[in-house]
Amino acid sequence: MNMQTHPFTKPQTSAVRAERVAFAFFRGATYVVLLAATIIFGVIFIKGADTVFTRHFPFVNVAFLTEAPETLHVFEHDGQKHELGDRAFRAYMEEKKNPTVSEENYVYSAGGIFPCIIGTFFLVVGSMAIALFVGISAAVFLNEYSKGGRVVEFLRLAILNLAGVPSIVFGLFGFGLFVLFAPVLGPTPDPSHLYLPLGFAYLNFSGWGVSLLSGWFTLAFMVLPVVITASEESLKAVPKGFREGSLALGATRWEAIRTNVLPYAMPGILTSSILGIARVAGETAPIMFTAAYVVSDRLPWQVDRFVDVFFQGVMALPYHIYVVSSKIPQNAYTERVQFGTAFVFLALVLCIALSSVILRGRLRARYKW
Amino acid sequence: METHDTAAALSAALKGRSRTRVLGLTFDDVVRYFFGGNAAVAVVVLLLILVFLLKEGAGFFEMNASNLNVYRRAGLEYVDLMRRPLDQFAILTRGINDARLARFKALLASGKDVEAANEALKDFDAFADEFGAAAGDARGIVSDLTEVVSAVKVRAQVSADKELEREMLLHAGRKDEAAAVKVDVVDFAREIKVLVEASTGWKAAAGAFESAIRKSTAKAHGAAWAKGDFLLSSTLDKSDIFLKGLPEVEKQMAAWRFDEPVPLHRSFTAFLFGREWLTASFWQDWYGLLPLLSGSLLVSVIAMLFAVPLAISAAIYVSEVATPKEKAVIKPYIEFISAIPSVVLGFFGVAVLGTALRSLSEVSWLQWVPGFPMSERLNALTAGLLLALAAIPTIFSLAEDALTNVPKHFKEASFALGATRFQTLVRVLVPAALSGIISAVLLGFGRVIGETMVVLLCAGNRIAIPDFTQGLGAFFQPVHTMTGIIAQEMGEVAQGSIHYRALFMVGIFLFLISLVINYIAQKVVRRYRISIG
Repeated sequence: MNMQTHPFTKPQTSAVRAERVAFAFFRGATYVVLLAATIIFGVIFIKGADTVFTRHFPFVNVAFLTEAPETLHVFEHDGQKHELGDRAFRAYMEEKKNPTVSEENYVYSAGGIFPCIIGTFFLVVGSMAIALFVGISAAVFLNEYSKGGRVVEFLRLAILNLAGVPSIVFGLFGFGLFVLFAPVLGPTPDPSHLYLPLGFAYLNFSGWGVSLLSGWFTLAFMVLPVVITASEESLKAVPKGFREGSLALGATRWEAIRTNVLPYAMPGILTSSILGIARVAGETAPIMFTAAYVVSDRLPWQVDRFVDVFFQGVMALPYHIYVVSSKIPQNAYTERVQFGTAFVFLALVLCIALSSVILRGRLRARYKW
Repeated sequence: METHDTAAALSAALKGRSRTRVLGLTFDDVVRYFFGGNAAVAVVVLLLILVFLLKEGAGFFEMNASNLNVYRRAGLEYVDLMRRPLDQFAILTRGINDARLARFKALLASGKDVEAANEALKDFDAFADEFGAAAGDARGIVSDLTEVVSAVKVRAQVSADKELEREMLLHAGRKDEAAAVKVDVVDFAREIKVLVEASTGWKAAAGAFESAIRKSTAKAHGAAWAKGDFLLSSTLDKSDIFLKGLPEVEKQMAAWRFDEPVPLHRSFTAFLFGREWLTASFWQDWYGLLPLLSGSLLVSVIAMLFAVPLAISAAIYVSEVATPKEKAVIKPYIEFISAIPSVVLGFFGVAVLGTALRSLSEVSWLQWVPGFPMSERLNALTAGLLLALAAIPTIFSLAEDALTNVPKHFKEASFALGATRFQTLVRVLVPAALSGIISAVLLGFGRVIGETMVVLLCAGNRIAIPDFTQGLGAFFQPVHTMTGIIAQEMGEVAQGSIHYRALFMVGIFLFLISLVINYIAQKVVRRYRISIG
C-alpha cells in the first residue's frame, strides 16, 4: 500500500490525538447514560410484562388491570400449593369446610391495581384543569398585556422560583393550607376552627381533609410553572401580524387575543402541557399527605352525595408503588405486583411523554408562518 | 385641556363603540386584570407556602425551648453531664479491645495456635481487665439517677398536659370541669435535692474512677509488652486526653443550676446545629438538623459526582460531535429519562440496584476499595446513583441549550485560525457557555437535594451523621435526608406536637435552600454571561 499523502489529510499532531481521545470519552459518557436508562426500562418492562401480559388469549392480564388489590394467601392443602387472593381464599375455605392450613399472607399482592389507575386519572384531570386555566391566563397576561418593567420581572422571578421548590415542600404546603385550613361552606359555625358568617351560611376554615380537592390544588400549583412556560412559548410563536391585523380592524385587545391568537396557540399549549401531565401523574411526595390513601375499598364515584366525590382520598399509582416497595417484603410472591405496578405506571407516563414529543413534531410541521 | 378632550373624542369615534363601565372599568380592563391576577398566582403561592409552613412550624422554637427547659429542670442535663465521661470511657475500652484483637490476629498469622497466642497476651489482658473495671460504682450511680430524673420528667409532662387540659376547658367556658382537673405541680427544687445528695456519692465514685484509670494506664505506659503497639498507644494517648478533660466536666457539673432558664436562642441553635435527631425516646427527644442535612448533602454530592461529568459530556457530544442522526435519537431519549417518575427510580433501587451493588462490592478483587463489602444494601451510593440519573436530563438540556446558543461565528473564527474541533470546544465554546453550564449544574443540584422518593426508598434511612473518618467508606453508609424524614414521619406524628412542628421547620429550611440555589443560578447567568452578540 503505497499511498501518497494527500495534501488535505489531517496531520497526526498531538492536538488531533487529544481530540480523538476526548471525543471518544464524550461518546462513551453519553452512551453510559443511555445504557443506564435502557437497563432500567428493560428490567421493569421485562419483569413487569410477566404480570401484565399472559400467554393465552386475551394476552393481557385483565384481572390485574380491572380488580382491586387483595391480600395474597399462600398455603398448602391436599398436597397442593395454592396461591389465592382474599375472596378466592375465603371461597376455597368454605368449600373445603375450613381446614386448618399454615398460610403466609402478603398484603396487596393479589388482585389488581384498578383503583390506583382510576385515582391517578382523577388526580391528573382535575389538577391539569386548574393548572391549565390559571397557567394559560398567566401566560396571556405575561405575553400579551404586560409591557415589561419591574412588576413583570418580579412575576417571572416568582415563576422561576416556584419551579425550583421541592415537591415535598408542596406536599407540606398543601397539607397546611388545603387539608387543614381551606374553607368549607356549612350551615352551622364550627367553633373549633376559625369561621366567617356569610349571612346565609358559615365559612368554616376546617380544611378539606385528605381529599381529591386538596390533591388537585397542590399538584396544580406544583405544575403551574411548566404550564406557564409552555403556554408562553406557544403564544410567542404566533406571529405579531395576526394581532396587528386584528387590532387594525378595530378589535379590542381581548377580541384580538380571543379570535386571532388563542386559537392558533392552543394546540401548541396543549401539547406542551402534556409534559406537565407526565409530571403530575408521576409525583408522589405532594399527594402523600394531601390526597392519597394506602387503600380505599370504594371507587371515586361510589359515594352517597355528589360533593363527596371531591372530599374523598383516592388510591394513586405512584403512592401504591411506594407502598408495595417499602411496606411489604421482597420475595417471589410480592415481586409480581411490584413490577406489574411499576410497568403499568412507567408505560403510562412514557406514553404521555411520547405523545407530547410526537404531537409537538407534527405541530411544528403544520404551522409554519 | 381642550386638545386632550378632542383627542379622547376622536379616539372614541374611531373605535366607534360606547363602552359600558362597571366601577370605572371597561370590559377589556376587567379581562386584563383577570389575567394579571392569574399571573400573580405564582407570587401568591410562594407567599402562601412561606406563610403556611411558618404557621405550622413557627411554634417549634417555643416548644423546643420548653423541651430543653424540662431537660434542665428535671435534671436530665445533669445526669447527661455525668454520663458523658462514661460514654467516652466506653469508647476507650472498645479501642483497647480492638488493639487486642489486632495483636491476637497477628499472633495467629505468625503461626502460633490459639492457646499460645492467649498466653502471649497475658499481660495485655491483665491491663485490659483492670482498665475495664475502672468505671466501678460510677456506672451504677448514673443508671440509678437516670431512673430518678426520668420519673421526674414524666411527672412534669403529665402536669403540663393537665394544665393544658384545664386551660382548654376554661377556654370552652366549662369552669366546673376545669376546677375538677387536678394539676400536680412538680416542685423541681425538691426533686433536684435527690440529685444533689447523690452527687456526693458520685464525687467519690468519679475520684475512684479517675485514679483507677490513671493507675492502670501508668502501668501500660512504657511497659515492655505494650511497645510497638500503635493501636494501644493511640488509645492510651486518647485516655490521657480524656483524663485531662475530667476536671472540665467537674467544673460544668459544679456550675450547673437547674433553675437557670434556657435562653430562646439555644432552642434555635439546638435545631440548626443539633447533632442528633431522636424522637419518641424514653430519655430526651432531640431535633437537630445536622444528621439530616449531612445525609442530604452526602447523597447530593455523590449524585453530582456522577451526573455532572456524564451530563456535560453528553451535552457537548450532542451539540458538537454527534451526527444529526445520532442527535435525533439521543436528545429525545435523554428527555425521556426525565419523564421516569422518581418513585419508579426508587423502586428500581430497592428491587434491583441495591442488591446488584452489594454483590458487586463482595467481589474479591474489589476489596481494596474502602468500605467494601457494603454492610447495607440501601445506602448513600444507591440513592446517589439513581439521583444522578434523575439530575442528568436537567443538567443535560440546560447545558446543551447554553452550548447551542453560542453564536456560530465564534466557532468559525476559531476554525479559521487552525484550531481543531476539540481546541475550539475547550478554549472557545465552553468558556462562552460557562455561565449557562454552571447554572445548569446548580439547578441540577437543586433538583437532587429536593428529591424525595428516591432517597426515602433507597438511602437506608439511618438517622446519623455519616462517619467521615472512614473516608470514601462514608459513601456506603445508610443515611437519612431532610426530604426523606418529612415523607416518612409526617404521616405518623400527632398534629401540633413538637415533632410535627419540627418537620415543618425542616420543610422551611428546604424551601429556603431551594430559593437560594435558584437565586444563585440566576445571578450566575446574568453576571458571568460573556456578551455574545
